[in-house]
Amino acid sequence: MGTVTVLTESSAEVAGDVVDGRVAIDASALTDAIGWQLKPEGLCQADVCVPVPDQAALMLGDRIDVAAAAAAVGRSSLVDAEHAAIAVSQPATARDTVVNGMQAPNLVLPDLDGNEVAMAEFRGRKKLLVVFASW
Amino acid sequence: MDLPGWQALTDELSADAPEGEGFTAIAVALEQEREPLEPFIEGITIPILLDANHLVTELYAVSNIPTVIWIDEDDRIVRPNTAAPGTDTFIDFTGVSCEPHMDAIRRWVRDGEVELAADEVQGAAGELDNDEINARLYYRLALHARRQGDQAAAEALFKTAGELAPHDFTIRRSAMPLTGRDPFGENFFGLWEEWKAGGRKYHGLNIDFKN
Repeated sequence: MGTVTVLTESSAEVAGDVVDGRVAIDASALTDAIGWQLKPEGLCQADVCVPVPDQAALMLGDRIDVAAAAAAVGRSSLVDAEHAAIAVSQPATARDTVVNGMQAPNLVLPDLDGNEVAMAEFRGRKKLLVVFASW
Repeated sequence: MDLPGWQALTDELSADAPEGEGFTAIAVALEQEREPLEPFIEGITIPILLDANHLVTELYAVSNIPTVIWIDEDDRIVRPNTAAPGTDTFIDFTGVSCEPHMDAIRRWVRDGEVELAADEVQGAAGELDNDEINARLYYRLALHARRQGDQAAAEALFKTAGELAPHDFTIRRSAMPLTGRDPFGENFFGLWEEWKAGGRKYHGLNIDFKN
């Protein structure tokens, strides 16, 4: 088995292969890949489980199709077979919470020294989020 | 560069506030690394975060910079995406002065006043469509190819991303310095003209551009 790169809010290298344009990984690697685990009750993250009525539809042989698992939790994806990579979107519900629900997510990003900073650390203050760049 | 303006506003509005209250600007840079920011960060103490994967543009539907978002003490978004500068450096080009917006922030922080009603701001950023989301995914695949040293593949993936979101500066302009093009040169002006001809699309509250 080779290695595939799963690009979400971070980048994870997991054991797997690209088969006919689909990224196949062992079920045990799914948590590392997209943060969800396949259980009999569905795809689970901490105490939350999303029911998956047809678990067979997530499988490629005895392995998991990352794109299908991601789609089951509301995340779209695109595969770059040449570089054995799959980019996975944020959940549709997360975008809806911001744009329509007007609730700021707890975005976690590194500062310029590489220390992770969570937006939740600034709760209690009014905040101006400034998206900028050098370009 | 806008950081000194946001720094001064933060200093002004947090001077009398108890620790952990008051106001702060939080700057999120759409950059792959710290290096391009070095000329702009001396003396800046507001948080500067590095968003290499452009997560903020996906979650908040940001399509150009600078974009600012007002978020209250309870993490409610009270004023979504607005193209507000932190300085008047580019006023001749954009026709947008920073002062009216900064005054509005002062009224919000000091008096809790928000000029916009909830129904005016809800949904005002506009949801990303599927092409715009796929553009962000192609962009991340391009970054990955670039990190792998495959610049030719990266350029093709950046191009596909740009074709899916042709009026999105966070996709097209940000890719310029990553593909050996000047983001302040003819490529930028070409994009600017395309954007104007395409109806000046912006995910957020409208602002008046003179040019």
